[in-house]
Amino acid sequence: MNVVEVEGLRKEFKSYSSRSGLAGAFRDLFTRNYQVLRAVNDISLHIKKGEMVGYIGENGAGKSTTIKMLTGILTPTAGRILVNGMNPHKEREKFVRTIGVVFGQRSQLWWDIAVQESFRLLKKVYKVSDDAYEAHMGEVIATLDIGPLLDKPVRKLSLGQRMRCELAAALIHNPPLLFLDEPTIGLDVLVKMKIREFLKEINRKYQTTILLTTHDLADIEALCERVVLLDEGKIIYDGRLDQLQKNWVEGKQIHFEFHHPVERHALIELSGGADVKWRQGERCNEWIAGIEGDEEAVSQLMSRVIQQHPISDVKVNQASTEEIIRNIYEEGLTHG
Amino acid sequence: MFYVSIFFQYAAQYLKTRLTYRADLVVEILSDLLFQAVNLIFILVVFGHTTTLHGWSREEIIFIYGFFLVPYAIFTAFFNIWDFNDRYIVKGEMDRVLTRPVHSLLQIVIERMELESLFGVITGMAIMFYAGSRLGLEIHWYDPLVLLIMVIGGALIYAGIFITLASISFWSDSKTDLMPMMYNIGNYGRYPVDIYNRLIRFTLTWILPFAFVGVYPSAFFLGRTDWYVYAFLTPVMGLLFLTIAVVLWNQGVKHYRGAGN
Repeated sequence: MNVVEVEGLRKEFKSYSSRSGLAGAFRDLFTRNYQVLRAVNDISLHIKKGEMVGYIGENGAGKSTTIKMLTGILTPTAGRILVNGMNPHKEREKFVRTIGVVFGQRSQLWWDIAVQESFRLLKKVYKVSDDAYEAHMGEVIATLDIGPLLDKPVRKLSLGQRMRCELAAALIHNPPLLFLDEPTIGLDVLVKMKIREFLKEINRKYQTTILLTTHDLADIEALCERVVLLDEGKIIYDGRLDQLQKNWVEGKQIHFEFHHPVERHALIELSGGADVKWRQGERCNEWIAGIEGDEEAVSQLMSRVIQQHPISDVKVNQASTEEIIRNIYEEGLTHG
Repeated sequence: MFYVSIFFQYAAQYLKTRLTYRADLVVEILSDLLFQAVNLIFILVVFGHTTTLHGWSREEIIFIYGFFLVPYAIFTAFFNIWDFNDRYIVKGEMDRVLTRPVHSLLQIVIERMELESLFGVITGMAIMFYAGSRLGLEIHWYDPLVLLIMVIGGALIYAGIFITLASISFWSDSKTDLMPMMYNIGNYGRYPVDIYNRLIRFTLTWILPFAFVGVYPSAFFLGRTDWYVYAFLTPVMGLLFLTIAVVLWNQGVKHYRGAGN
């Protein structure tokens, strides 16, 4: 059974525009101009139990809106939505007992009271028994290493400390489905690593399904086998992360920085039989060769070029996930 | 039952936090008292110029004021939703509220309660006793019960009106000045509504029924038999207005647009 079943989900917002001038303001009183914006445009999504899915998109692509519909905060304009077998906004109070939510930019904890008091209130709100709490949270607290923070009020915690407490708070009722919206925003590398390790751990142990949005693709690389790419409210890719990389990696790229100006045709001659695309780089005398093929082809090309033209710098790199995704948003998915 | 236990959990937490800042608490109670004293002095000043107000004596007006303080104290203790638009809609706190398994309105009530306002119940009762004894009112066995029902009715009317106003924020997130205005209009209910013109009296009875939070229920204790019907409508109006407000609220939640990131 799928944990998330979404079919043709759509959310429209009306946005009002005001006319200019005083006369315009008076007209606005009676008839207002508005545009209907589709923040989420007929998306379909199925997530199985135990999956960790990365949900990626630029700002305004509709990520948060989707998450808010899946968590029952927003009512969809159209479409079928079933999460944990329930319709989130219809049976909201029963439904939210089965999910955990972390919004990186918004605190779930009470600002003025000690972390453990917040936990205690949430424990009552989610009707968690003492035994279940002890057994489960004892481990969560140990893994996230927040034991020493429990008696401090939230306002005295650093961002990294707070985020770890937020994560623990979202797990008090040990939900089978976890929504994380930008959970690592603004955190340093060590805290990020700790959070990633922890998420892997609960996913392995409790088969917790995790839907994650983030701007940090390293999070996705570390955690998610599957990614869903969203652009202007539509899903433009839904599949394995490594497949995306395989389809998109343009072999390797070699950056040459020459001592002297070099003509394009001279370089093309040097390519020999190999499939090489040359383009000029941003710096003076910089040329980038995109080459399809294995390491041997790469080294052959390099040796041929270097023999002919003296260089000041050279480097070889593979396209990173970030580059791939940037390319997708710039050029569309038609490639590969 | 679950809601009752959640309520006490929150209340206990609230008291714990408040008691760590005892000075604040004392200042707040004292400023409430001062505010109530100013209102009382205003009544005394008015009656320095006249002996009756449209047939109502000074002690009767003071009694009405004393009664008003009780439901008003309960309202201000539990319904701090005057900044709902700003706090929950614009700043997006509603997102968090909606991810918790408790009715959204109840969550806001319990997380925003200000129990020290309940001190007004004591002040109000004291004023009623003082005015009542000056008027030579007798206390019957059923009076405490009737008082309880009237007070709850009055608090529900206040709650209903302000929840309705807050619900508007779900449809329009522009700031309005309705809330402070409504607090002012609420004060009109503390005076006998027959001193106003008919339109105002009609409004205070049926549209913004603040008269049920002061003069009408007090009429029962003051033995003004011609207003008994109104007096006993107090709980009915309270339930009616709260029901309307909750229905509107529930509709509004479906229209919640969320705060942009």
